[in-house]
Amino acid sequence: MENIDKKLREEAKRLLEEKRVDALVGYETGTLPLTATPCFITNPEDAEKLVWNAFCTQNLAKYVHDLISQHRESQKRVKPEDRKKKVFGVVARGCTTRSIVLHLQERQYARDEIVIVGVPCTGYVDRKQLSIIVSGEDIQEGTLEGDQLVVKTTAGEKRIPLQDALSGNCLTCKFNNPIICDVMIGEKAPAIAGAAQEYAEVEDFENLPTEERWAYFTKEMAKCIRCYACRQACPSCYCKTCFVEQSQPQWVGLGEDTTDTQVFQLMRLFHMVGRCVDCGSCISVCPMGVDLRKFLKKLDKDVLDLFESRAGSSMEDLPPLSRFKEHDKEDFVFNP
Amino acid sequence: MARRKFATLKRFLDYIGLEGDRTIFTWISASEGERFANVIKGVTAKVRALGPASKLVKKL
Repeated sequence: MENIDKKLREEAKRLLEEKRVDALVGYETGTLPLTATPCFITNPEDAEKLVWNAFCTQNLAKYVHDLISQHRESQKRVKPEDRKKKVFGVVARGCTTRSIVLHLQERQYARDEIVIVGVPCTGYVDRKQLSIIVSGEDIQEGTLEGDQLVVKTTAGEKRIPLQDALSGNCLTCKFNNPIICDVMIGEKAPAIAGAAQEYAEVEDFENLPTEERWAYFTKEMAKCIRCYACRQACPSCYCKTCFVEQSQPQWVGLGEDTTDTQVFQLMRLFHMVGRCVDCGSCISVCPMGVDLRKFLKKLDKDVLDLFESRAGSSMEDLPPLSRFKEHDKEDFVFNP
Repeated sequence: MARRKFATLKRFLDYIGLEGDRTIFTWISASEGERFANVIKGVTAKVRALGPASKLVKKL
């Protein structure tokens, strides 16, 4: 990892010095032990801050989209001949590039507006999982030694295998290497062993009786406090006005009515058909630990099953809901 | 495309625990009066069999 950090910093510095990018989105060490936080770099000297490790959680495609749309917005009042083009660099692992592919397919920005610095990924640490492992104790210090996390809490030092603390989506990830990139840092990461069982959890849930599934959905959604962190973190949620904030018509009521919360979640989840890249950003930012993945993964499974498509898996694999085939399954159509 | 959206919606609603028969989708042309009547009869029969909805109903 030391080596990757070094290469990443060199590459970032070069990109900024050569003015190939105006700003670079990457990760820097977080303020808490065993964390990393997104950072924006415009000065070549600051490239030294960059890190790439198992604590880099958020999908940075969200920031790329935000930066580009903000820049475009700022250019609207400028005379056409004075408009400036800005290029943004991004440190991207597999799922981030999938989101970028999705943005490109959905015509959110052009390929030449971004420079993708690809990094290999072997999964990131799920903070909530880690907290459970250390029984909720405050993590005072922590280091990563090989595949062991050495965590120092008020209760003493503990060695945790990295594998146990990895996020659920990373354990069954099929796309841990960048799909598209301009520069690749380091060697490609080996395939994840659990990738074959990626739908095991969904299949188990499908086999439960209807009432049990509904009970689980109700239980999970009861945790939701409608902070919209999932929406803010999701790279596929980029509508200028989200349906929850629209008032004409008002699609979903505000406030803490159980049904409103369920409908909000249901609608946000359903907007992810063929668009969720399973980056786990929504889950990692959720302050209440709602099991969103159980439902998102189902959409992914159905899209693969019905339309043989996976969100952002390649530039040719266009969003499934924007096209159709003559012989798509229609056994659900009601014909009395 | 509508067919694709409905295929996923129906499966998804069933997955989260809503009765699958509450989401019904079909094609009817404006000229198919008899078919329209038949479809509606079928839909009401299905819904009647399920009884009043209790899920995702907002109580005011």
